[in-house]
Amino acid sequence: MSAKIVLGRVALYALLSAVTFLVCFPLVWAFFTSVKPKEEIFRWPPTLWPESWTLENYRALLEGKQAYFQAGAAAASGPPPSAFFLDWFLNSVIVTLGTTAISTIVSTLAAYSLTRFRFPGQRAVPYLALVGYMVPSIIFVFPMFLVMADLRLTDTLFSLILGYVCITLPFCMWLMWAFFRGVPIEIEEAALVDGASRLRVFWEIVLPTAWPGIIAAAIFTLIVSWNDYLFGRVFMNSMENLPLTVGVMHFFDGTHVDWGLMMASSVMMTVPMAVLFMLLQKHLVAGFGAGAVKG
Amino acid sequence: MRGFRLSDRQVGILFMLPFLVTAGAFMVWPVAEAVRLAFYSYNPLRPDDLTWVGFENFERIFNDPLFWESFSQALVWTGWSIVLQTLLGVGLAMLLHVALPGIAVFRGLLLFPYIVPTVVIALNWRWIFNSEIGIVNHALVSLGIIEQNIAWLSTPNMAMTSAVLLNVWKYTPFVIICVLARLQTIPTELYDAAKVDGAGAWRRFTDITLPMLKEVLVVVIVFRTIWTFNKFEEIYLLTRGGPGTSTFNLAVYAFEEGMANLRLGVAAATGVVMIVLLLAGTVVYVRVSGFGQEEKAT
Amino acid sequence: MSTTSLLATRRAALLGGSALAAGLAAPALAQNQPRVARVWGEPGPYGGVFVQGMNEWAERNNAGIRFEVEQIPWDGVTVKLTTDLAARRPPALISVESPIAYQLAAEGLLEPVEDVNNAIRARERLVDGFSLEQFGAWKGVQYAVPVHHQPCLLVVQQDIVNELGLGDPASWNWDQFANAARTISERKPGMAGYTMALGRNLCADYHITQFIWQAGGMTWDPRDGFKTVFDSPATVEAFDFIRRLHPFMPRAAVEFSFLQVVDQHVAGRTGMSAYWGRTMGRAAEETPQLFNNMEYYLNPAHPGTGMRWSWTDINGWIIPRRDNAFIRETKEAVTYVSNNVDWLVRYSQSLMPNVGPVFKDVATAPAMLAHPFYQSKRRSLDVIFSQSVPHTCNTGLELRHGVNPLAGSAHGRSVWAQAVQRMLLNNEQPRQAVQWGQRQFETIRRDNARMLAG
Repeated sequence: MSAKIVLGRVALYALLSAVTFLVCFPLVWAFFTSVKPKEEIFRWPPTLWPESWTLENYRALLEGKQAYFQAGAAAASGPPPSAFFLDWFLNSVIVTLGTTAISTIVSTLAAYSLTRFRFPGQRAVPYLALVGYMVPSIIFVFPMFLVMADLRLTDTLFSLILGYVCITLPFCMWLMWAFFRGVPIEIEEAALVDGASRLRVFWEIVLPTAWPGIIAAAIFTLIVSWNDYLFGRVFMNSMENLPLTVGVMHFFDGTHVDWGLMMASSVMMTVPMAVLFMLLQKHLVAGFGAGAVKG
Repeated sequence: MRGFRLSDRQVGILFMLPFLVTAGAFMVWPVAEAVRLAFYSYNPLRPDDLTWVGFENFERIFNDPLFWESFSQALVWTGWSIVLQTLLGVGLAMLLHVALPGIAVFRGLLLFPYIVPTVVIALNWRWIFNSEIGIVNHALVSLGIIEQNIAWLSTPNMAMTSAVLLNVWKYTPFVIICVLARLQTIPTELYDAAKVDGAGAWRRFTDITLPMLKEVLVVVIVFRTIWTFNKFEEIYLLTRGGPGTSTFNLAVYAFEEGMANLRLGVAAATGVVMIVLLLAGTVVYVRVSGFGQEEKAT
Repeated sequence: MSTTSLLATRRAALLGGSALAAGLAAPALAQNQPRVARVWGEPGPYGGVFVQGMNEWAERNNAGIRFEVEQIPWDGVTVKLTTDLAARRPPALISVESPIAYQLAAEGLLEPVEDVNNAIRARERLVDGFSLEQFGAWKGVQYAVPVHHQPCLLVVQQDIVNELGLGDPASWNWDQFANAARTISERKPGMAGYTMALGRNLCADYHITQFIWQAGGMTWDPRDGFKTVFDSPATVEAFDFIRRLHPFMPRAAVEFSFLQVVDQHVAGRTGMSAYWGRTMGRAAEETPQLFNNMEYYLNPAHPGTGMRWSWTDINGWIIPRRDNAFIRETKEAVTYVSNNVDWLVRYSQSLMPNVGPVFKDVATAPAMLAHPFYQSKRRSLDVIFSQSVPHTCNTGLELRHGVNPLAGSAHGRSVWAQAVQRMLLNNEQPRQAVQWGQRQFETIRRDNARMLAG
């Protein structure tokens, strides 16, 4: 290796490290803040590396509910927001998984059907899905809310699932449609000729090849429904029914912000997505490449 | 499955049914509702009181300076976000495409912001860009780059800058993902041939890479433009449209009209305008992506 | 799709998910639980104390219901109200800022509470200077049960004022006050002279309107068919005064709301600020040396009118009428707690000195006076709880000329704050900014003509 190449590589690594540092800094800072004791969080000048480490903030979030119930009558003034953290977390998990299941299943079935059978208006569906994909949630949210109100569904997790299905389904549909169009039809036809039923072909031949597409659709849905704020804000009201994103805003209470709790919840909100991301990073690139870009 | 065998046609319909029902009930219906609502006066505090007002809501928004202000601010916010995202996205994707040991780690970390919840990053931004106790001002002052704290979120220009920065931080990874996916499909022989011909790195980039990326970039840009233009959460959670109304875009305008001003009809009318705009955007997309031609070819 | 099946699905979803975290969620899933009636309180512990008292009533009477407090962040009140009422699922009981209470009363959304007020002899017990109507009445019907009052006053770091020889804040007029703000910001590096909220939010609306009233202006005149009278010379003068003070404020004041004003003061970054009692409470908790030197004063008097108006939340409990399944129980429980001086003392003391007592028997109760602040901060407490009363009004009760339900809508979009921001951020002239405000307020009046008539 010539000196020039070595130098080039060093420069490249240095550049990448600098950019990565800048990009990751907000999250690193959130993490450091979350493990500092209260006095240190507000110390000026701020300490970059925590001087003393504490899990106090995490404990407050995880044990808040228990602590509140144990305190019983001694708790003077209603549950603090941290008492609901686990409820919020659970709500977000339920809603996210529910949405993902519905959106991926429905879109996979429909996309297969669209690419393998003839329908009137068959061509229009992917176009409409594309348009639906672009419609921002701010347009859906009010009419959806009124519909939910009429059905007496507001403040239920189910209303949230329906809301998220409505914003994720178009993209899933489109992605799966693009995917199935790329899957060669010959193997299926051979199996059909051999006398296998359509359902069996779908189950045994089509689904296994469709996994990368399904995973990409699922990741997209997971991200959207885990991260949404708007629907949660408008649809949900009771403290115990909120999703995480809306709930954590309660750590701002008008005259006081608990930055420690806020950053600890930020970390806990990000971790599930981070784990998922690490496991599925490859599919993300492949899936989005196939679906989002080539259409 | 024996003895009970669905015909192909039945399977097809059966498979389509859930989609049709869901799409009809939760997409077509709400959008139709939104359009209908745009012609009514509706105050959510008086839910039983729905009055037909014709085009009054539209007249109202078109006569509202704040609507136009929101519109032009949305253009500024979108323009800067897209330019920066594209430049940074392509640049970083090029760096990340180099086959070096450890590059996967960088790739993972740089794509990460895309999955970070908006709430998390908006709160973080408010914490680190706090003009009085934020780490960013502290760092800049102690490095001697600035003398006085910058009021990141409290002057119109800086607030818009912060909002753009947030958007760039969160969505550049999307550009990187798309560009990387495309880069991986460019045959390396092309570069080898160019090298043999004596083309420098820059020439190779402009002559081979850019033309190959053109298609994907156009698509990504159209996409991101449509989304960014209509973004709500990034702005609302960071600045609530402030200071003043200097970071309003149409989505924040619609939300404020609906929720704070209790005029859901006006909010819906704004939504209709947004739909019209994005339909125009979609037409552009279909044109540039060759989506339609591909269809004809099959 | 029928509603019942959707509900069933939702329940199934909830149950299925809960099984995952069975241990943690167990208390919420227990069977035969009493029905839950939601109560909205402001952020802070006091709403919770009151609700505890209500639950004491529920237990003693085997009412089979449990009241649960939900804290609504101030800036989230409007969205929360809008969505919950539109969804036809209001809480059983609400404590909100007066202007919003007046608005809801005029919208016909509230249950009359004359009976509760009679049962607690509210008229006789009220602290001198308040009338029952101020808590929330519309067209002669009483809609609110008094619970507390909170005046916005001038918070001063006495040591700094003394050190710089700025005189007695109690006797300041606008000019002396502006001079003090300037002197502090010039002589104390890193410290603002005066801090008020100027962001697009409720807090800024409140801080701004105080100056308008002191100068003699108002927004709508209830004595004259709610005519929009915002564009008066008095309002322009108040705007001009805010512009004069602006250089002595923190640079980020244009994004400040409740929180940041308190933060600024408690962090020792301002010599004076406009705020309610909470600043003192937080200083006591966090920075004792600031607390020791902190004093509250009536707002500086306008040199011409001599007025010291103070934006005061004259706060009552209100009960949504429509779709509320708990009206009877709520009324009884509120009566129970409001008749119980001990509970009301605990209420006021849960966040001293933020929520002033509105009943004489509470204000003078030995338990109340036993709070340590009566030793350490007697003078300030007196200003907050009693001396401020003659100067109290709010955006729904401007200059005490009568209840005006329009202010709630205007706060929804912070029109006052926006008008001032046009002056400070867009460099409009005060007159121009005021005229912009006039147009907004006039639109609100027109939009709500039916409400005013009905």
